[in-house]
Amino acid sequence: MNKIVAMAAKDIHILFRDKLGFFFTIFFPLMMAIFFGAMFAGLSRGPASIPIALVDADRTAGSARFVGRLEAAGGLAIERIPGDQALEQVRRGQTAVLVTLRPGFGAALDNPFVATPEVEMSVDPTQFAAAGMVRGVLLEAAGAELQAFMSDPSRMSVTNEQNRRLIEEFSPPSEARDDLLNVLDQIPRIPVLIDEAGLGSVTTGATGGFGPPLEIEQTQVQAQRRGPTNSYATSFAQAMLWTLIGGSVSFSMSIAIERSRGTLMRLLVAPITARQLLAAKGLACLGATLFTSSALITLGITVFGVTPTSYPLLALALLSGSICFCGIMMVLSVIGRTEQAAAGVGWGIALPFTMLGGGMVPLFLMPEWMQTLGNISPMKWTLIAYEGAIWRGFTLSEMLLPCAVLVAIGVLAFSIGATRLRWDTG
Amino acid sequence: MLVFDHVSKCFGDLRAVDDLSFELEAGEVFGLLGPNGAGKTTAINMAVGLLEPDEGVVRFADEAFDRNPRDAENRRSLGLAPQSIALYEQISGADNLRFFGRLHGLRGSDLEERVAACLDFADLVDVGKKVVSKYSGGMQRRLNLAVAIIHDPELVLLDEPTVGVDPQSRNAIFERVEQLRDEGKQVVYTTHYMEEAQRLCDRVAILDRGRLMALDTVPALITAHGGPGNLVVRTGDGESRHETTDPLATLAELQASQTVDHFQYLPPDLETVFLNLTGRALRD
Repeated sequence: MNKIVAMAAKDIHILFRDKLGFFFTIFFPLMMAIFFGAMFAGLSRGPASIPIALVDADRTAGSARFVGRLEAAGGLAIERIPGDQALEQVRRGQTAVLVTLRPGFGAALDNPFVATPEVEMSVDPTQFAAAGMVRGVLLEAAGAELQAFMSDPSRMSVTNEQNRRLIEEFSPPSEARDDLLNVLDQIPRIPVLIDEAGLGSVTTGATGGFGPPLEIEQTQVQAQRRGPTNSYATSFAQAMLWTLIGGSVSFSMSIAIERSRGTLMRLLVAPITARQLLAAKGLACLGATLFTSSALITLGITVFGVTPTSYPLLALALLSGSICFCGIMMVLSVIGRTEQAAAGVGWGIALPFTMLGGGMVPLFLMPEWMQTLGNISPMKWTLIAYEGAIWRGFTLSEMLLPCAVLVAIGVLAFSIGATRLRWDTG
Repeated sequence: MLVFDHVSKCFGDLRAVDDLSFELEAGEVFGLLGPNGAGKTTAINMAVGLLEPDEGVVRFADEAFDRNPRDAENRRSLGLAPQSIALYEQISGADNLRFFGRLHGLRGSDLEERVAACLDFADLVDVGKKVVSKYSGGMQRRLNLAVAIIHDPELVLLDEPTVGVDPQSRNAIFERVEQLRDEGKQVVYTTHYMEEAQRLCDRVAILDRGRLMALDTVPALITAHGGPGNLVVRTGDGESRHETTDPLATLAELQASQTVDHFQYLPPDLETVFLNLTGRALRD
């Protein structure tokens, strides 16, 4: 065992002394993580409009007018769908906010002296920023609606007449009833009085002495997390995949390098067995990829705010991914017998599989057929396992499939590589 | 310790080693002399188990050599310095020694003592911590040799250890080989340089096209196969060359008939031995 560890330690030592190899193993993936993370973060910061689901439970001319005003205001992409479906969309994280116009909304909008229009906002708790913006747009629209009401004496007269009839019908004669009716008589004159008082220019948008133009009740929806909450969660998963690819290609080259530099001859005449030599190569690859991928995600967690949904499952994913690429390393070693061939074959095989497996463009952005085709790529299973632990919120049973696939690929590939590897020195 | 018993090895139609037999004696430097393609490296590779003979047996320590190249026990007793420099350039000389020492089972203070001794042997104590890529060619050659003896083997196989080195470094390597002999090691030394074999080897096996042409001590080989020496004389008529087995008698004979201004005797050497045995010069 000591000899295996000594050989593995030597290989890892050499890998980290090789500046180019070290760059491709850890810095290149890190740069990708930061680049794509920043890119997707930038995309998510500045959308043209915030997608919301809207349910009009009032279904009156007033509520329809308010929705029209929201649509005209811009800033919101409104999808009008049934209530249950809309709530489910928020739960799944597909929509940030569900806005429900409650019954009586239109009546309150048309009669602000009696009631305040009520709206319910059902919010994905991870989308508070978007919810705040939606709240602002709603209030702005309601304010505009109130201003339009206050600026239209004919609408106010109609409303006053309705209110007068209500008072006269339900309130017995009294001094208070008379005062209230007098106030109602003065209300249509308010715009004229404002103009006469020279205040026309300073009251635009004002709601006069009324309270908030809209009453918003906000509730949180327990979201089923279906997407990364942090753009770096995606990019760091990809970066960790790249460390595995870089590590496996580097180690596949190491056997060719040992052969061309003559050190393989020294190893073969040393008192070690072929199995020990293979085990050392495998251990070195496993250790290096495990270390670099762990280092990357640690950086992602501590510096870039990546929050894995499960640390034990993350550890399982890291180990499974490293085992898989350890096997891939052995197969690449067999195919490429010289340094140049090993490098060419390694990257030549790795890149297409990586593209297909979501290593360059996130899987969830790919078309359905491409995601299906990607099942043949070990890179895809690695990403599924990583993402499952980082942001997909996999359970143990959900994680078992990708991890089992990875370990199976690793063991099979290592076995094929080990049996086909020729230990000749020339 | 090392015995080749009618060993042959073919690569396709090429018979690289053809019915080779020899036996090393205790504490000697044994030379395998021959031009490129003579079968020296193939013989070495069979000696260390990297290649299996097609015919015959390579025996080691009076027991049948296990042809499995991964047999650990036989390997503890031998050390190989390959023809090409076989070192990890990215790590230091000391770390190279340390690594190969660990592979041979050395640990702790034993390992560190051997590392220090080998650095001293290779005259690399001052640069032991430098990465090998910073070493000169001669320093790398010496380290290549030192790595072969990190585990203090009984038999050291040196495959053309002076290829591509300057005369000063070559002399340094000669001194190391002589030091190994003084320490009682058995050394197999392959070369195509006649002077090296003549200076270092107690016995020399002359190989050509895989076949053993002659095997003996250098003086015995010269006596048996060297033929007459050459007496070169310069007189008023110019320079002339005379084959002779008795240069003094030949010189006296020449002086009796003319005035000899200058003379030089060129005794037969391994070059002439090889020429006489094969009809070709050693460096052809």
